[in-house]
Formats: sequence, structure tokens, C-alpha cells
Amino acid sequence: MNTARPVTPPVAAWRDQLPTLVRVYGIILTLVLLVAVVGIGNPAFLSGQNIFNMLSQWAPAGIMAVGMTFVILTGGFDLSVASGYSLCAVVAAYVGQDYPPTIAFGAAIVVGLLFGLANGLLVAVVRINPFITTVGSGFVINGVALVMTKNAAFLVDNPDFGTLGAGRWHGIPYSGMLLILFLLVFGFILARTIYGEAIYSVGGNYEASRLSGIRVRTVVASTYVVLGGCVGLAGSIIASQLSSAQANLDPGIIFDVLTIVVVGGTSLSGGTGAMWRTVVGLGIIATISNGFVLLDISPYYQSIIKGAIIVAALALDGGLTRLVRAK
Amino acid sequence: MVQSPIGNKRVSESTLAIRVRNVSKSFPGVQALRKVSFVLETGEVHGLVGANGAGKSTFIRMLSGASTPDTGDIEVQGLPISFEDPRAQRNNGIAAIYQELTIIPEMSALSNVFLGEVPNRWFIVDRRGMEKRFHELALWMGVKISPHAKANTLSVANQQMLEIMRAVHAEHDVIIMDEPTAPLGPFERSRLYELIGRLKENNVSIIFISHDLDEVLRLCDRVSVMRDGQLIETRASAAWTKDTLVKSMLGDIQIVPGRKRERGRVKELLGVQNLSLPGKVSGISFELGEGDVLGIAGLVGAGRTEVLRSVAGLEPLAEGRMTIDGRECAWPQSVRDAIERGIALAPEDRKREGLVLSRSALSNLLLADIGSVSKGPVLSPGARRAAATMLARQIGFDPKRLDTDALHLSGGNQQKLVIGKWLHRRPRILLLDEPTRGIDLGAKQEIFQTIRSLSDEGMGVILVSSDLEEVVEHADRILVVARGKQIATLDGHEASVERVLNLIFAVEDRPAAVGVN
Repeated sequence: MNTARPVTPPVAAWRDQLPTLVRVYGIILTLVLLVAVVGIGNPAFLSGQNIFNMLSQWAPAGIMAVGMTFVILTGGFDLSVASGYSLCAVVAAYVGQDYPPTIAFGAAIVVGLLFGLANGLLVAVVRINPFITTVGSGFVINGVALVMTKNAAFLVDNPDFGTLGAGRWHGIPYSGMLLILFLLVFGFILARTIYGEAIYSVGGNYEASRLSGIRVRTVVASTYVVLGGCVGLAGSIIASQLSSAQANLDPGIIFDVLTIVVVGGTSLSGGTGAMWRTVVGLGIIATISNGFVLLDISPYYQSIIKGAIIVAALALDGGLTRLVRAK
Repeated sequence: MVQSPIGNKRVSESTLAIRVRNVSKSFPGVQALRKVSFVLETGEVHGLVGANGAGKSTFIRMLSGASTPDTGDIEVQGLPISFEDPRAQRNNGIAAIYQELTIIPEMSALSNVFLGEVPNRWFIVDRRGMEKRFHELALWMGVKISPHAKANTLSVANQQMLEIMRAVHAEHDVIIMDEPTAPLGPFERSRLYELIGRLKENNVSIIFISHDLDEVLRLCDRVSVMRDGQLIETRASAAWTKDTLVKSMLGDIQIVPGRKRERGRVKELLGVQNLSLPGKVSGISFELGEGDVLGIAGLVGAGRTEVLRSVAGLEPLAEGRMTIDGRECAWPQSVRDAIERGIALAPEDRKREGLVLSRSALSNLLLADIGSVSKGPVLSPGARRAAATMLARQIGFDPKRLDTDALHLSGGNQQKLVIGKWLHRRPRILLLDEPTRGIDLGAKQEIFQTIRSLSDEGMGVILVSSDLEEVVEHADRILVVARGKQIATLDGHEASVERVLNLIFAVEDRPAAVGVN
């Protein structure tokens, strides 16, 4: 209603912007509320010790969410991360039995980059739907891990192997530092570099980006490679934390990764979202999970509450979007 | 015919299929319809002609209930229709067959005909009943289509027939056909004419829209002309001639003699010889000098867009010889190829092909040259803003709105961005496809100012527009195309809208001309 008029009274402008502000930053409000509820319910939640433990525990899923944010922003999707995560852990553990940890983790990351590249080429160059591509490649990757391990666990008894996942510096876990580093570095890449700008453009409108001379296929394919690298590191961290790995490590982790990205407000249709949203999403999911333990909520109710909070967060987002559009 | 006992007026009204009184409709910035009054008699074939943007589409969308008039009223079969309830509109008995067919490609012919009202017994699809009815309809209409053929395996003509079958099945009293013959070959056309005759005998009223004036005069009982959102005149076909129709369509336009440059010795920038794109265009040759504005005129579907897309490297199948600065070079095979040669395309579909709507105006202005304003791989926000502000000034875009998402901008502002995003690269040849479609007069002026100042700086511009006046006014030379072929190249000062139209219709009329499939 005010759109045609260039000058609007400040009060009206503030009121008009309220829905937009709530839509853009409302998800932070959800996080603050959750933190307050859990923190009041059990003050131990906010202790340094607990926060460091959470960082370490959520490092693998969080690092994969960083890569997934890139993929989803281009309008893509990757369902093969759970299988990839296990395979990279298996590779790290396998190589780590005989070689130094750095070589083991390096090998896992290289494997991650390679299947990321394969996914990227299939999606961007052969142009198969990303959903189907990654369901299929997920099966293949999982199969490779099964063949490698014959479905047994690889155990690593080299104590240095555990440093990456379980080591700490003044109580701060290395894995947690890596998570924060990834969020910052890739957040910067997304927000402030040519590459990040290209990702947003391609995700927002593939055809217009192509017609503007952007190398759309390279951009799309590269995001799967970035994700692959993240999966390689995440697999290394979990293998290090457990000092072992097996082919079906944590099939459910894909849902954590996707939920972290989407709850933060990054759109599955591509083009809109940000790394800070993934930070907030990670905070929400981690707080809910940790809160259940600290508030001693029966496991029977946990998934109901978790599911309800996720759906409520997205419904709020959608409802506000419509409200803004209706204006 | 039902005889009414009440006076004359009542009787006459009952023979009217549709009566429209003083209907107006405006969109932001555009008065699309101005006090249109219109009468469609029962069993009449009524032609509707007018230039692009005259308001025909808005008008028929209103009749079919797809949009609501601001003022005025519409009666169907003597009953006023309300625009409150969309379902009620659908039952008005009016079917519209748009240029964009509403056929579901993956479904069978049968399913497409019964779309939306599948015959059923207790919710179980009555397949045998459907097939029986399908054969009845096909027989009566004289079409041979297998009910089990997938719609996307059928020709455009047969897909169109499916839509007509749908309308006949639902026993609609009025069928609106929007340029139904445009995609048809000569044989398919005559089949459609026959069908229209048969529908007419059965008291179905038809509104027939076409750019082929001979066809309109031959087929219709009466013809109405629309121009600038007004219904100018309705006459019996016999009272029109092709000339009077064209005159009425155009009105008394004052063609402001634009700044026509005498084509002296300008340095040649781009030469195209014998461009062909299989099935679309062939034998197109032209040259573009520094600072030239070359217009391409033709009907929708004549191959204008294809010429631009081929030059911009978007059609890998395009063949031809291209020279740049007089030197022969390989035909561009990709957008990046074209950009390297200094060729940039501002495509017709702003929202789908031109802009990233979810991004700010600033991002869009630098979209085609993302890497230019940065330190290494890192963007420089300050320098980006400065560059975008300069571009904005150049194209008449308010720099205060640089942070607005493209989605929330008006069509005119969006179009400015589509052009502006190329300017940072300083292309030498700018291809503009329908740069003024659906935008208001002020924005149009600003866009043409931009085009002029660019051409003053030596940029070569190729302009495609359905608005012939615009092409005639702003182009230094005009390439006239019809049915994928080049039929003339006119110098700006010898061109007129009438001359161009006559050239086009001379080719598009001839049924023997090499058909579009």
C-alpha cells in the first residue's frame, strides 16, 4: 500500500517492516527462547563444559551442514551424505591402522571430494535430478563401505588417531574449533566472494545466470565437491572420536544435516538463505537434543517435541512470508 | 428459438450470447480497457483484431472469467454474471482456447478431453462412457485422434482439437479462440474453418482472434477492432476491407520522426550472412554498424527471437557466417562465446531469463560481470555499490532502490536492470528482445533514452518489438521477417508501420507459403 510512495512516516515504516523483520530474524528469536527455557530449567546448560561438549558432539553434523548449505543454495540436494560419512570414517580407520593419522584423515577427505565430484558431475553435467542422483550414489557409496569392511568394525589403537575428534586445548575441543572455523570461512565465502555471489545467482535463477555468462554447471558441481570435502572431514572426526568405524555408522545423520540447514531458514528452492542461518539451525537442533537430556525428558516424548518444534519453526516462517506477501 | 411474450427488447436480448457494457480495467500504470461495450449474437462468428497491447487479451480474459472488471457489467445469455465466485464463472458456458494450450502433455487424449469433469459412477471412472462420448465428439467434429494417444505425441493442431472437443463436450455456448490458426498449416487451417462453420450451425457463438486479416474477413460475420484498450468499431465483415481494418487498427498515429541517422560511412561492427536455424529461420543476412539501431519487425513466431538467440550463442544448431569488425569468426556456440565477441542479449522474459528475482537490484546490475569489482576472489562492497550507482544513473534507475529485491520492482524497473546488467561489461553489440513489453510509458521513454545514448557512444543495437510504431520510430534500419524468412530491409526514413504491415501480410497470407509444420 505504501510501496508507490517514496517517503513514509517513520512509525508506519517500522510497523510495515515488522513482518519482514520477524520473518528475516524470527528464527533467532526461536533459538533465544529455547536457550532461555533450557538454561533456566538447568543452568548447567550454559556452562563452558557443556557448551564445549556440544560443540564436539555436533561437529560432524555441523560441518556437513556447512557444505549442505552450499548445495541447497544452488537449488540442489544431497541424500548421499550419510553413506559418504560412513565410508569416509571407514577409510580413515582403515588407513589409520597402518599409517599416521594425518594421512588417514587426508585419505578420507580425498575420498569425500571424489564422490562429491561424481555427484556434482551427474547433477550439473549429465543433469539428473539431484534427489535421484544422490539416492543412487548413496547406495553405491554404502555398498563400497560394506565391501571394504565386510560389515565389521575397523578398530584403530594408535592413540594419536583420537586427537582430532577427542583432543582439547584448554578444554576447547579441536573438533569444535574446526566447526567454528568452517562456519566462519565458508560463511565469508558465501557472503563476500565472487563464488558466493555466483551461488546465490544460480540458485535464484539458473537460466538468467546462464544467460548472463555465469559458468552455471561449474558452480553447481563445485558445491557438491565442497560438501564432499566437508563429509570427508566429518567422517574423519567421528572415526577419531570413536577410534573405530563401520559401514552403517549413523544413517539418521542425513536428517540432522538437512534439518539444521532448513530450520535456519535456507530455502529448499534455492537462492535464499545464509550461513548464519545454518549457525542458528545448528543451535536450535543442538539445544533441543541437549535440553532433553538436561531437563530429563522421557525419551518417549523427545521425538514428538523435536518434530513439533521443527514444524512450528517452518510454519511460522511460511505464515509470515504469506503475511508479508499479502501486504 | 424461444419466443418471449414481453416486448421487443426482451426478445432481442434473448438472442444475445454476451453483452458487455462499459467495462473498464486498469493495472498499475496501465489503463488496459476503457469503457468497452460489445455484443456477441447467438450463432455468430465475431472477429476481434487489434495491434499487440490493444487490450484483446485482457478483454477475453475477462469474458472467460479469468479476471474481474473494475467497472461495467457483463451479461451472458441475458443474465448478469457476478465476479464474486470463481466457480460460478466457470459455469457461464464460455470456453476460451488460448494460444498457450491447457493440455496436460503426459496424459492421454481421452483424459485431456474430460479434464476436470471425469464421467463417473460412484466416483469410479466410467471409462466406457468416456470412450463412447469421445468417439461421438470425434465423429461429429471430423477429427481422427486415437483416444489413447498421449497428448504430447499429437500435433499442435490435434492438441487444439482436444481443447475444442472439451468445449463441445461441455456444451459451451460461447467459444473464444485466441489466434488459433497461428501455429497451423494451410490444410489444418481449412479443417478448423470447417469446424467453426459446423459449430455455428449448432448455434455456438465464436469470438475469433487473428492477425491474419484476410482470414478474419472471410470467416467472420462481424469484426470488431480494438486499439489502446478501446473498442473502436464493430461492422459486418462485408463493410470492412483489409485497408480499412489496418487503418482502424492503427488509428491516426502521429509518427514522430525519431532521430534518423543517414546511413553514411559507418564502421561495420557485426555482419551476419545466411543465418539459419533448422525449422525456425533461414537465409537471414544483415549488417550492423557502429551506433546503428537495427529493428527486426515481424509477427510473433516469425523468427525474431530466434535470430537474436542465435546471434547471442543460445542456439547451438544455428549456422551462418559471422564477421566482427570485418573479420570472419566462428559462430558463437555459447553465451560465453558471444560475450567474448562483445555481444549481449537482454531476453524477452525478464523474470525467467533476465533477472534473479530473489537478489537485490545491485546484485542484478552486476550479475553479468560478477568478477569485475573485487580484490582477487573477494568482493569489494564499496566499489560494487559505486559501480552499481553509476549504472543505475545511466539507465534511469533510482539508486536509492539498489537494495530492493528485483521481485518487488515494477516491470519498467526490472527491464532497466535487464539492460543495465550488461553495461558494466561495455558490450559492443546489444540485442534487445521486447524491451518495452508490458511497461508503462514513462519507463519506455527512459529505456529509449538509454538506447539512444548507448548508440551515440557507438554501441550497435538490435531491437525486436511487437510494437511496430516503436520499431519504425527508433530503428535506423528495419529487417522485416515473416515465417522465418527475411522479406525486406528498409531504411528508417522509407519505413512506415503500414508499409511494414503490408510486407508482412503479403507473405503471411499466402497459404502456399512454406508452412510452419
